[in-house]
Amino acid sequence: MRAVPAFRRSRSSKLVDRLMRGVLWGIAILFVVVLILFVGAILKQGWPVLNLSFLTKMPETLDAGGGIKPQIFNSLYLVVLSLSLSLPVGLGAGIYMAEYAGKGRALNFLRLCIETLAATPSIVLALFGMIVFVQAMGWSFSIRSGALTLALLNIPVITRVTEISLMAVPRELKEASYGLGATKLQTILKVALPYAATGILTGLVLTAGRAFGESAILVFTAGTNASAQFPDFRLTVPGETLSVHLWYVTSDGTLPDAREIAAGTAAVMILVLLTLNLLVRLVDRAIRRRTR
Amino acid sequence: MPDTSGASLIAVPSGGGFPVEAAAETRASVTGAPAFQHSRIHRMADRWAHLAFLACSLLVVGLIGGILFFLASKGLATFWPMAGSTGRALSFSEVFLSTDWAPSSDRFGILPFIAGSLGVTGLALLIAAPTGTLTGVFIAKLAPPWMRNLMRQVMDLLVGIPSVVYGIFGLTVVLPLVSRTWLAEAPASGFAVSAVILAVMIVPTIVSLSTDAFESLPASLDEGAQALGSSRWQAIWHVLIPAARPRLLTATVLGLGRAIGEAMAVQMVIGNNPQWMALMRESTDRAPFLRALFTPAATLTTELVQELPNTAAGSTWNNVLFAMGLLLYLLTMVLILATRRLGRGKEA
Amino acid sequence: MLTPTLPETKPIKLSVRNMAFSYGDKKVLDDLSLDIHAERVTAIIGPSGCGKSTFLKCFNRIHEVSSAVNVSGDMLIDGVDIYRGGIDEVDLRRRVGMVFQKPNPFPKSIYENVAFGPRLFGVSDRTTLDGLVEDALRKAALWDEVKDRLKESATGMSGGQQQRLCIARALAVNPEVLLMDEPCSALDPIATAKIEELIFELKESLTIVIVTHNMQQAARVSDYTAFFWLGRLVEMDLTERIFTTPRVQMTEDYITGRFG
Repeated sequence: MRAVPAFRRSRSSKLVDRLMRGVLWGIAILFVVVLILFVGAILKQGWPVLNLSFLTKMPETLDAGGGIKPQIFNSLYLVVLSLSLSLPVGLGAGIYMAEYAGKGRALNFLRLCIETLAATPSIVLALFGMIVFVQAMGWSFSIRSGALTLALLNIPVITRVTEISLMAVPRELKEASYGLGATKLQTILKVALPYAATGILTGLVLTAGRAFGESAILVFTAGTNASAQFPDFRLTVPGETLSVHLWYVTSDGTLPDAREIAAGTAAVMILVLLTLNLLVRLVDRAIRRRTR
Repeated sequence: MPDTSGASLIAVPSGGGFPVEAAAETRASVTGAPAFQHSRIHRMADRWAHLAFLACSLLVVGLIGGILFFLASKGLATFWPMAGSTGRALSFSEVFLSTDWAPSSDRFGILPFIAGSLGVTGLALLIAAPTGTLTGVFIAKLAPPWMRNLMRQVMDLLVGIPSVVYGIFGLTVVLPLVSRTWLAEAPASGFAVSAVILAVMIVPTIVSLSTDAFESLPASLDEGAQALGSSRWQAIWHVLIPAARPRLLTATVLGLGRAIGEAMAVQMVIGNNPQWMALMRESTDRAPFLRALFTPAATLTTELVQELPNTAAGSTWNNVLFAMGLLLYLLTMVLILATRRLGRGKEA
Repeated sequence: MLTPTLPETKPIKLSVRNMAFSYGDKKVLDDLSLDIHAERVTAIIGPSGCGKSTFLKCFNRIHEVSSAVNVSGDMLIDGVDIYRGGIDEVDLRRRVGMVFQKPNPFPKSIYENVAFGPRLFGVSDRTTLDGLVEDALRKAALWDEVKDRLKESATGMSGGQQQRLCIARALAVNPEVLLMDEPCSALDPIATAKIEELIFELKESLTIVIVTHNMQQAARVSDYTAFFWLGRLVEMDLTERIFTTPRVQMTEDYITGRFG
């Protein structure tokens, strides 16, 4: 009988294993550090600028000392407007895909369209918005041009999250509803959507965050000017948001305190997004605790 | 024996009679309580709802076509002038194959932008793809639960930061840092910095898709590899990564899509110099490649952001910019179809 | 349970003639003919996969919610064809209620679960709903256990209670027929016994068709029993006769455990 070689792990393979484990941990920690440094730097730079007057003053065009009051308003206004436009469409499309479309090529094609829209760069959406709303419809740089184009950004995310949340509804619940004599619409409205609601809501909040931070689209549709009147709810006036203001003040560079304003604006945006993120996590945990 | 006196039932495979009591009057409801019925409104609503939801889906499909149509209407006017164009018609080669970009002298070679986009994206992917994939496998297979949680939150935050804030960070923190070193002259900018910023922007996408890819591998694969005595890393490198390859590729392609389309952050740090290729060629530095990485450059997206507001509608310059936008859009479609093909390869 | 000497006085509620059923091109049921009498309990027994549940679900057309099916032959309710007699399937499902194998209460309160049905049909007056909910819960022998906690979530109840809740929910819309698809298979013996008791009470006003793979249960609760095998009806008779003097050898083999 031939002796079977004793297979033993070589020293080098053990070393490689330990090394690569270290590398993996290192990369992960690197990202954590990058995030902390990033957020830290932004907050540190912006902190000295953040005071009540900065947040509540109107911006200056030539002198130092301007505030960002209208930009804050415009940011919120545009998020709310674009969400109210994209929510019904996104919900409708998501419901159709999850409940009506069957499983064949139609559904596949719809998914392809949604994925394409989701992957479209925002600068391309900005171009589209420019051609259609700003120029062809004659609306020029305005809140309504911006809101409609921003809605295009939101729709694929809302659709996807609606479809996924609805498909997660257990089949037995829908069966029970149909078994009682409910129509399809009733089953969707009274059983499927309530069950999917938390998932959809989380998706909505994420979409809001994304719309809040969007700049490329708004530069070309809502413009780089803010109304001198505050608050201005009109849809026809230009609406510079925080994100656009941050970009414009930096690129334009004519303001003497451009750096400070940019730092302050960036800090405000980061703080808003951190709060949003925290809110989502808290709500998520609260809901999970309730349905246990 | 069949009992024919009453109404006993017998069913045998060869069929049989069913003697039955005569009256079979329709039963009223159980307790005489209301017989529930759907109102006409309910029924109509059911039917209309179906149409409404369908309409929403069709709207989305229409948008895809609409974007293509409107971009093409302006972009293609570069080559085939339509009503309203003020410039001359350009040829494909003078646009797509020429590096000579001088709009004021009527020269519109966009190759510098294409090369710029590819360069910045390529560099970014070089950084983001390996680190992102490895982080994905780290989260899925190596990290303890608390670390997994932390990484998820970190990635969520990174993906939520707006691109202008990334740009500001690059401008106010990274660039000054780099310009203090010998690598760059003032003002430092160019590919390297943009690529690093871009890499951080797309890493969360790659990480989350990679994590999903690894988590969806059957447990038996990992267990099998380790049962044979392979180390953690050997199992990862030799078994898990190859097994997850299609989805990892998809993750990278989607990261690529995001990188190519990114406009603001890159525009703020890259220096916006359409003549970068000419500049590089002329450079006589001792370390040309390194210098090249820091040359102010330009990409398709940055040029759009930079110059679109300054061009007159209908002018050749304007049309060329829209052609660049069209190019980006078509590229997106190609990338999505590529991910579909990759995904299908996996099912085979 | 009926004894063989009593003549059947109840009319036929559901009637099946030469019925065949296929999912796509896969034939699951073939050549089925039987009658189900009103206010009687009819049990369907047979080994797994013989098509019992599929057959049951044909009575309320619940298959069509998720798949394309092909039904040939006749299935009648009160003499009207279920598939081709112009009956709206949504209406049908109110008249023919269903209790599923695994209890599936909605993630809502106990009250809302039972009120769900009446609300579907436009009942919104609080007092009326309260009355309907109480009636249904009493009929399902659940009222005393839950009357003080109607607002609590249904998912916090035990399996047996949840199943009785599902029965109450089905009863709240006043069905004429109740289809029960192995309703006790996920429950412990005590919960099972409670539900079997319930079936005895309910059959006084309701036609019940129950699928079960527990032969003792069929023997305990039903008046008639039908034995299915491989998508066909082998034998159907009064329960007592099926279990004491079956006519077909296969039935006897199944009942005595020679296969199954």
